[in-house]
Amino acid sequence: MAVTGIGLVSPVGTSAAEVFDAACEGRSGAVRPGEDHPLHGLVDVVAFSPEIEATSVLPATEARFVDRAIVMALRAAEDALADAGLEVGRNVAPDRIAIVVSGVGGLGLLEEQVLQYGRKGRLGVSPYLMPGVLPNMAAARIAIKFGIQGYTSSVGTACAAGAQSVGEALRILRADEADVVLAGCSEAPLFPTFAAAFGNARALAHGWAEPTDASRPFDRRRNGLVLGEGAGILVLERPEHARARGARRYADVLGWAATNDAYHPTTPRPDGSAAARCMSQALRDAGLAPGDIGYLNAHGTSTKAGDAAELLAIRTVYGGPDTPPVSSTKGVTGHMLGASGVIEAAIGILAMQRGLLPPTHNLEDPDPDTEVDHIRKAARPAQVQAVLSNSFGFGGHNVSLVLGNPGPDPGAEKSTA
Amino acid sequence: MKDEIRQFLLQSLKEMNYSTDGIDDDTVLGPAGADLQSLALAELAVRVEDQYGVRFNDDEAEMLAGMTVGEFAELVADRTQASSAS
Repeated sequence: MAVTGIGLVSPVGTSAAEVFDAACEGRSGAVRPGEDHPLHGLVDVVAFSPEIEATSVLPATEARFVDRAIVMALRAAEDALADAGLEVGRNVAPDRIAIVVSGVGGLGLLEEQVLQYGRKGRLGVSPYLMPGVLPNMAAARIAIKFGIQGYTSSVGTACAAGAQSVGEALRILRADEADVVLAGCSEAPLFPTFAAAFGNARALAHGWAEPTDASRPFDRRRNGLVLGEGAGILVLERPEHARARGARRYADVLGWAATNDAYHPTTPRPDGSAAARCMSQALRDAGLAPGDIGYLNAHGTSTKAGDAAELLAIRTVYGGPDTPPVSSTKGVTGHMLGASGVIEAAIGILAMQRGLLPPTHNLEDPDPDTEVDHIRKAARPAQVQAVLSNSFGFGGHNVSLVLGNPGPDPGAEKSTA
Repeated sequence: MKDEIRQFLLQSLKEMNYSTDGIDDDTVLGPAGADLQSLALAELAVRVEDQYGVRFNDDEAEMLAGMTVGEFAELVADRTQASSAS
């Protein structure tokens, strides 16, 4: 199925080209929270996305009480639809466009309301709380804003949710339940309770003199992730629908898979076996062999346990260190939870288009025991026909996406899944 | 008292990003007038409950959409006086 539109909100840019260039050039979005920010003193480093006025995506009466995750999702959806040249009701029927847009929901706004409840009791709580915070509301408000009447849902698989939304979109299109799907995720975790939880769980990068050094996937000195925020939405489209309207085709989504570690709520299975099975199943779903992959965008959050397990998983799929070029772009973006998977799929798509593979930022000293073909220090030129992108989440969720290069002539593409 | 309540209602509408242009005592609060939808009416009721220490039951809350600004201010004034007299 074709990818015909991309909408991104990220700490390193709000277009696919900006994000890709930042990844290739090692421009990190990691910063220290300012003295006036509620996270100041609570976490060392975070990755903020640009401010977006809620009134730029919602009527003023609705914009007053809505979580940032929903606002970012609406902006990404608007940009993705515009990028695809799609107008609901004009070149796609309202009941033939679906939405799978996910995320943990508007927990930052919920936190504010809990504090208000503590201060004022019942009268501190807004009647608008539910539509402002529920995890389906990004998808639902996209439906309302653009008049989309097809299948609409969100999946709750934590940091795997964005990639899984793309996978679910592929499933919907293969079943011919829609011609177009908006698939993505939006996450706004930069509020005190969430940051404190990640910190107390010892999951956050800490102690770095330069914030841009803190996220360092696969590096031996890594000591945690950099919490980020962002949104990514892809327009997936049936190839014949895209062709009939002369749409630009960025890439094809060729296959996907989802597995579960069945091991621990937060710690990944140390041998990476379920993640390896996920990658292998996704390759089979795409009709490809492991050797067909020219670039692997890893989940690589910069945590000790997670990165080590993923490298083992990759080595399992490839039978040793002879892997495709591997990088994690979270060295520049930080970890935007479920939104990462979509933004990283977009990076993989641009890698195929540009013939350039982004490096893992700050990867200075890879662990020799888990060697793979790391891309580091600089972007690597390479013509790539297929990309594998991993996303793993709390709960042991593993999702792998396989993306294909449609080639320079969008009219002469190979048939897709 | 009623004037003060009317001012409070208009100020609340502004804070809720609703236009108060042309709104007077005879303007219906709901879609036929000020165009407050269900959650907006609920919020207005909560704001009044918080400000004046009154409470609306479910039946009264349901009737809000059909009330005018003047009628609602009157109701709140009566309720406030009743509670302060008791």
